Amino acid sequence: MAMSVEKFKAISPAEFFYRNKEIAGFSNPARALYQSVRELVENALDATDAHGILPDIEIRIDRDKVKTYVYRISVKDNGIGIPPQYVPEAFGKVLFSSKYVLRQTRGMFGLGAKMVVLYGQMTVGEPVEVITSPIGSRRIYAFKIMIDIKENKPVILHRASWPKNSDWHGTFVKVAIEGDWGRAKSRIIEYIRRTAIVTPYANITFRTPDGDVYIYRRVTKNMPPPPRETKPHPHGVDLEMLRMMLRSTNAKTLLDFLVMEFQGVGKVTAERFLSRYGFDPGKDPRTLSQAEIEALYKALREYNEFRAPRSDHLSPIGAELIKIGLQAILQPEFVEAVTRKPVVYEGHPIIVEVGIAFGGAIQPSETPILFRYANKIPLLYDEKTDVAWKVITENIDWSYYGVQFPAPLAILVHICGTKIPYKGVGKESVADVPVIESEIENGVRHVARALKTYLIKKRKEEELQKKAITLVKYIPEIARSLAVFVSKPNPATNGVTQELLESKLFELVKMKIGELPKGISSVRDVVLSVE
Amino acid sequence: MSERKLTSSVDMKARQRAVEMVRRRFLEIVEKVLRGEEPRMLIPKRTLSNTIYDKDRKLLLLGSEVFDRSFLDVREARKFMQTVLMASIIYEALVNNEYPTIRDLYYRGKHTIKYRDHRGRAVEENTWDEQRESDAVLRDIEVFVGLLREEMLILSKEKGKVVGDMRIRSGDDVIDLSKMGHGAYAIEPTPDLIEFIDVNAEFVLVVEKDAVFQQLHRAGFWKKYRAILITSAGQPDRATRRFVRRLNEELGLPIYVLTDADPYGWYIYSVFKIGSITLSYESERLATPNAKFLGVSMTDIFGDPETKKKPYLTETERKNFIIKAKKTDIKRAQELMNYEWFKTPKWIKEINIFLKKQSKLEIEALAGKGLKFLMDVYIPSKIQTQDFID
Repeated sequence: MAMSVEKFKAISPAEFFYRNKEIAGFSNPARALYQSVRELVENALDATDAHGILPDIEIRIDRDKVKTYVYRISVKDNGIGIPPQYVPEAFGKVLFSSKYVLRQTRGMFGLGAKMVVLYGQMTVGEPVEVITSPIGSRRIYAFKIMIDIKENKPVILHRASWPKNSDWHGTFVKVAIEGDWGRAKSRIIEYIRRTAIVTPYANITFRTPDGDVYIYRRVTKNMPPPPRETKPHPHGVDLEMLRMMLRSTNAKTLLDFLVMEFQGVGKVTAERFLSRYGFDPGKDPRTLSQAEIEALYKALREYNEFRAPRSDHLSPIGAELIKIGLQAILQPEFVEAVTRKPVVYEGHPIIVEVGIAFGGAIQPSETPILFRYANKIPLLYDEKTDVAWKVITENIDWSYYGVQFPAPLAILVHICGTKIPYKGVGKESVADVPVIESEIENGVRHVARALKTYLIKKRKEEELQKKAITLVKYIPEIARSLAVFVSKPNPATNGVTQELLESKLFELVKMKIGELPKGISSVRDVVLSVE
Repeated sequence: MSERKLTSSVDMKARQRAVEMVRRRFLEIVEKVLRGEEPRMLIPKRTLSNTIYDKDRKLLLLGSEVFDRSFLDVREARKFMQTVLMASIIYEALVNNEYPTIRDLYYRGKHTIKYRDHRGRAVEENTWDEQRESDAVLRDIEVFVGLLREEMLILSKEKGKVVGDMRIRSGDDVIDLSKMGHGAYAIEPTPDLIEFIDVNAEFVLVVEKDAVFQQLHRAGFWKKYRAILITSAGQPDRATRRFVRRLNEELGLPIYVLTDADPYGWYIYSVFKIGSITLSYESERLATPNAKFLGVSMTDIFGDPETKKKPYLTETERKNFIIKAKKTDIKRAQELMNYEWFKTPKWIKEINIFLKKQSKLEIEALAGKGLKFLMDVYIPSKIQTQDFID
């Protein structure tokens, strides 16, 4: 199995606040409980499927018997585990991140777990419990950690390790926070269900504080290929990011900086670019003045001879997996999905995927049921302001596709990319950027056309079946009636019975209809009794 | 006692004929099925568009249009099932020496078919729900087989009554219609099985109203004027019509019909005379083209300046007896004007007077003027002066 090595780097508190000014999600106990489960589950998935491991994830929430506002969330995975020397900083130092490089992962900043720990410490005050065993390690390591907020460093309250006598690897995290299960319940259950839709290759069990257990079993062993790292594209960096890159680069010259730190920039392109804008190719990137940095930023954005951004580091779910997931969770009668070709949004590649499910166990509703995902994360809040909602309720005329509401229709929209234009701080809805809107619309139209074809075929079959049933249902009564006339001995009709007449009439229906619909192979398949 | 002695011999003969005809017609369908051919029936249409007024014979007749009732036609499959079902019940009743009524046929054939629909749900469907449906296929069978229901020994309620100086054989009994006391002979549902033995009468008077029939009967009208007295008690049933037709056709007796003076009375007369639209296929056997409308006519009430006819009622009597016509009466009169067979000068005059005066009159009103007036003045003088509409 190919394993990529995570890169761990420390970033400064200033960067942290810069990067996290938009992170909310802990605004009240209900939202905080939802957010905490999300962060831990997404870390668990990133530790598994991003590394080619079929995920086994166990989630559990317990309510404290005395302090009923206190909930203990634990998430156990079978991921790559965390090397013991990194554990204290991974959970106990706010700005430690393995996700600084550009790669499409679920948590964009890798700060999720720390936010949970921090929030738990502020509201309950218990240390976070971490048990981990890196892949290939022969030991299991256990920690109890708190954060020294003032000093921004981990405080290890307890540390232990013991030899491993199983082949388990992965991480177990348990944290106590103030929450509100009553108000968060439906969202959390729905969040896990929607996660299961796009991870049909995972085993997920979830035990609620009420003692209910939700089990989503693995239905396929196929996984999307793990995402690869990529360097930023010149069009895709903002001023702050450029500043950080200049500061942390190993390049000695501006020319090397461009070639080493960006994708799509070769030596020739870099030279041409620098001379066009009058930069000194041999200048040490760390010595650029504030004005020079701003000029470089503008030039990088403006110059249009860089190669288009690559998208091979993105990890779409794939049409097959979306279909499998929709099929397993929704049990519809029809399912289709499409992965669109990559497009570029502000220098970042974006791939839109759309799935559709119809009929079966789906309950009819007045509008389509929408499942939104961004980088495989279900988006639950602010549905009505999302561009996908606009597309499916305003742009698409469903009657054209043969759908009359109320209808049992579900649409899945997945947007993956290294930069997604969220609306607002909650990161729960995507803005209606034209390129994304048209990608979603085209994707929806693609799968809707498949649905239309299916519905037309189904309707035809139904018509045929109705027609066959309309005739077949009368056969026993007709055969019985006609048999009355042959009850007298008569050479022409000797030995003619009701059964013979029934089978002859059935043959006639077969000849008339052509091929009989499936499920009708004899009169008794239709007629149950005549009384 | 053997079966033979319980049932009359005419019944047995009719039964045997019906068995053969029904059986022959439906065995054709059985044979088609056995040969793998589409089972179908070509049935004459019983619609207004396929009802033809034969001016020469003065009859409403069934036209030549037929429709194809095929089992393999999804729109006709249910009707096809109902038709063979009805035929099988009639056939079984014939074979088993039974006399079902149309209500019996309805109940015997009402089965529930349980089947699975295209969504897999178990659904129930009745072979027919209302008697309207079973009655309709019965009419189809009458035209398809070429036998009236009476000929298939299907009974209906007896409604018509008759008295008079004549003897008939009904079943194996001879009945003297002059010896019915205060009662009357109820015309049996199978009037074709009646045999006329002898008759002593000069005409037939058919009265719409049962009450007027009883008054005339008790007053001895038929004895005094040598008449056969009949009532249809409202709209005439098939048996009464057939009986009247036979009296005219076989015994040559003139038929006079006496109804209320309103569009409904006129239509009753026309049903006797030329047949009804819904049952036009039976007109050839049921209608009496020679029947005459004796009254009560509009000119009887209002007189006729053209022919200088004087009304039978005085100004005061008229005021007391006539009833204002209702909207539905007016509408019905306008409909009748469109019927081919009401487009004769006398009828046009009748209907026009009615529409102008917007008044109607019941026969009872004439009896109100005195039974003697009705029996000894009105009816005899109408017949004598030939003051009727033909």
